[in-house]
Amino acid sequence: MLARLLKPTTVAYAHCDIPCGIYDPTPAKIAADTVAKMVEKINALDKSATDFTTRGNFVRMVVVKEQHAEICKKELQVLWSDYFKPEHLEKFPKLHDTFWKALKLASKNKQSVDAQAAADLQAAVKEISDMFWATKK
Amino acid sequence: MRPWRVAVRGHSMEPALREGDWVLVFPPRGRPRPGDVVLVRDPQERARLLLKRVAEVRSDGVFVLGDRRDHSRDSRAFDAIPFVDVVGRAAFRYAPLRRFGPIGRA
Repeated sequence: MLARLLKPTTVAYAHCDIPCGIYDPTPAKIAADTVAKMVEKINALDKSATDFTTRGNFVRMVVVKEQHAEICKKELQVLWSDYFKPEHLEKFPKLHDTFWKALKLASKNKQSVDAQAAADLQAAVKEISDMFWATKK
Repeated sequence: MRPWRVAVRGHSMEPALREGDWVLVFPPRGRPRPGDVVLVRDPQERARLLLKRVAEVRSDGVFVLGDRRDHSRDSRAFDAIPFVDVVGRAAFRYAPLRRFGPIGRA
C-alpha cells in the first residue's frame, strides 16, 4: 500500500543515449581530409627515388591514408545506423544512397592513390555533414 | 498542487541524480533559475521527459546540460528548451532512503 503511494508515476531520462548520443560528422570530415592530404603527399614524392627515407615516407603515408579511410568509414557507419532516424529519411530521400556511395568511396580510397576518389569522398562527407546539421535546425 | 513522483533513468546527471532515484518534481513557479534541475520535454522525442540542469536562462527558454558532460545529450545537441516545455523543477530525492534529501542548485 505504502509502496504504491510512493512509487513514481513517470520515468524521466537523465539521458545519455548509450553509447553517449554524441554524434558529429566532424571526425569523418577530418579523416576524409587526411586521406586527401596523404594522396597529395604521395603523388608529390619523387617516383624514381629508391632511398630508404623516401620508401619509408611512402609506406607511412600509405598506412595513414588507409587508416583514415577506415576511420572515415566507421564514423559514417555510426552516423548512418545510429544517428539518422526514419523521419530524417523522409526529409532526405537520398540519405541511404548518399551513405552507401560514401562508404564505397572510403573503400576505394583505401585501395587506391587517387586524387579524384579522395575529392569525391570529401564531397560525399560534406553532403552527409550538411544533412546532419540540417536535422539540428 | 501535488508534486509528481518521477523515477530517474540514465547517467547524465550523476552524482546529483542516479539511475533508480525517485524524485519529486514541482510545477514551475516563475522562470527557472540557473542551477535548477528541471524536468523538460525532449525536443527530439516529445513523449519523453528529460532531467537536466539549467545552465543559462535565455529570452526564449532554458539552455540545459547534463552534469556529466561526456555522457549527456542536452542543449548542446538540441539547443534551448522553450519555457512551455519546462514541466517542473526536481527539488527532492525521496528514495532510496540513504539518498533522501533536497536536490541542490549547483
